[in-house]
Amino acid sequence: MELPVLNDAPAAKGGCSTSSCGSTDNQMDSLPDSIREKVQNHPCYSEDAHHYFARMHVAVAPACNIQCHYCNRKYDCSNESRPGVVSEVLTPDQAVKKTMAVAATIPQMTVLGIAGPGDPLANPERTFETFRRLSEEAPDIKLCVSTNGLALPDSVEELSKHNIDHVTITINCVDPEIGAKIYPWIFWNNKRIKGKKGAKILIEQQQKGLEMLIAKGILVKVNSVMIPGVNDQHLAEVSKIVKSKGAFLHNVMPLISEPEHGTFYGVMGQRGPTPDELQDLQDSCSGDMNMMRHCRQCRADAVGLLGEDRGDEFTLDKIEEMEIDYSAAMEKRKVIHGAIQAEMASKRLEKAQKAQQIKEEPKLTTRPVLMAVATSGQGVINMHFGHAKEFLIYEASPDGVRFISHRKADQYCGGDSTCGDGESVLQLTIRALAGCEAVLCSKVGYEPWEMLEAAGIAPNGEHAMEPIEEAVMAVYKQMAAAGKLDEKPEAVRASAA
Amino acid sequence: MAVKIIESCVNCYACEPVCPSKAIYEAKPHFLVNSKKCTECEGDFPVYQCASICPIEGAILNSLGEEINPPGSLTGIPPERMAEAMAEMQGH
Repeated sequence: MELPVLNDAPAAKGGCSTSSCGSTDNQMDSLPDSIREKVQNHPCYSEDAHHYFARMHVAVAPACNIQCHYCNRKYDCSNESRPGVVSEVLTPDQAVKKTMAVAATIPQMTVLGIAGPGDPLANPERTFETFRRLSEEAPDIKLCVSTNGLALPDSVEELSKHNIDHVTITINCVDPEIGAKIYPWIFWNNKRIKGKKGAKILIEQQQKGLEMLIAKGILVKVNSVMIPGVNDQHLAEVSKIVKSKGAFLHNVMPLISEPEHGTFYGVMGQRGPTPDELQDLQDSCSGDMNMMRHCRQCRADAVGLLGEDRGDEFTLDKIEEMEIDYSAAMEKRKVIHGAIQAEMASKRLEKAQKAQQIKEEPKLTTRPVLMAVATSGQGVINMHFGHAKEFLIYEASPDGVRFISHRKADQYCGGDSTCGDGESVLQLTIRALAGCEAVLCSKVGYEPWEMLEAAGIAPNGEHAMEPIEEAVMAVYKQMAAAGKLDEKPEAVRASAA
Repeated sequence: MAVKIIESCVNCYACEPVCPSKAIYEAKPHFLVNSKKCTECEGDFPVYQCASICPIEGAILNSLGEEINPPGSLTGIPPERMAEAMAEMQGH
């Protein structure tokens, strides 16, 4: 059986690289088959599955039992795309209706998550009512939940009763000193507890909850928000600890802290990490732990493939009018899921064969290169440069091609090109591609072409509809043959050397 | 003797289940307190339960009309820094 590739280590790695002795594949090997099966078609956990399968979140859980410095509970904006933000809070009944409407309309939707906008386990009745009904009425949907962990130990028993096989815990630290800089307070035993004392309780609950879930055989993913100067140095230790306790995946996410979000970090000028800093940390943790690099930090009511949000098609008034025959939908979904799985299996096989070929070819000795790719899914290059709202970043090296991250092309506030410092959307996009030396897309217009070239990023529209990894490798080889990789470009990443 | 929830409430539901007197109820445009039922937690807890979980500064007033959670007390953002940030944003 072909292993799921969660976070491709360089395809044909020989020996140990500096950062990841013991490759990702080996770590996946150690997972029991039943767990591997659960993971490999999950868009959030499997890098290749996220090109095919969609997810949705239902916002049934508005209450929270802690405050985080990266969250502002006042926020509700339809142009916002980040965790903790929603347009409307649903009752469990509305959530079930919405989920079934989406499942019937978007058959690729396989995963339903409850992620907020508060903490799902601080709203146990609403959250569990939704899960209970969906386990009964839509048994072909995987259920997930994310939590800050404070109420987790009390919820493990109930979680194990439903069709829930994944729980995400956000763990930003294991040290209360650091925790006090991230969590101003928690609500615990009928009191608001501030500072280090509150952080200590939260950390203990998170670790206890993690251990209890693992003991129950429930998959645990850990999310961490990378906050430069606060926990960036500390997250490698977090990664080690959660892995040793049995978490199967660690998702290090960049802090989002625009001042206009009104969060503590936003207002106080705490910056988020640069893409380089994030990648360096993910690389340094990846030796201990499977890293998740394609996370899009979705809204708590997101609907669709990762990176897209079709929530507008499923507002309450719209789903009210939909007539859903779920048993018919389930039949249709089954057929479509089978077809997708067959396609994924053949792509996985092809990819493994290509990797093998690369291994057998005379090995290049050239330096690694980052490239940006515009895609709307299916694992191929199929999007215009100008239409891309995000780019996937790949690293090509003599060892092969690996997925690194995604970068947003337009700003969070959504489209006013004259907002703020007057940079055009195009300029912002090109800035977002800093560090990349090529951008692969189905087409590029004349104006962006010139601007990209001027910025040292080679536009490339020659690989439209080709599989991403193959195209990236082809461009890399072309660059090598043209002698472009003999010297370092001015702005090359230190860590990519 | 009763607390009051005012319009800055964001309808997050957090206070409703923690009220020992079941005095808080969902309403439009925001949650409200039944002043006949509210005991200010006397006899049950030494601190207001609703105001101890409420994430919004100023959203709950005590019986004297004072903010139980004044500006800066929950987010840690000094009020003058918040004012500056708001002014900067409006400048755009």
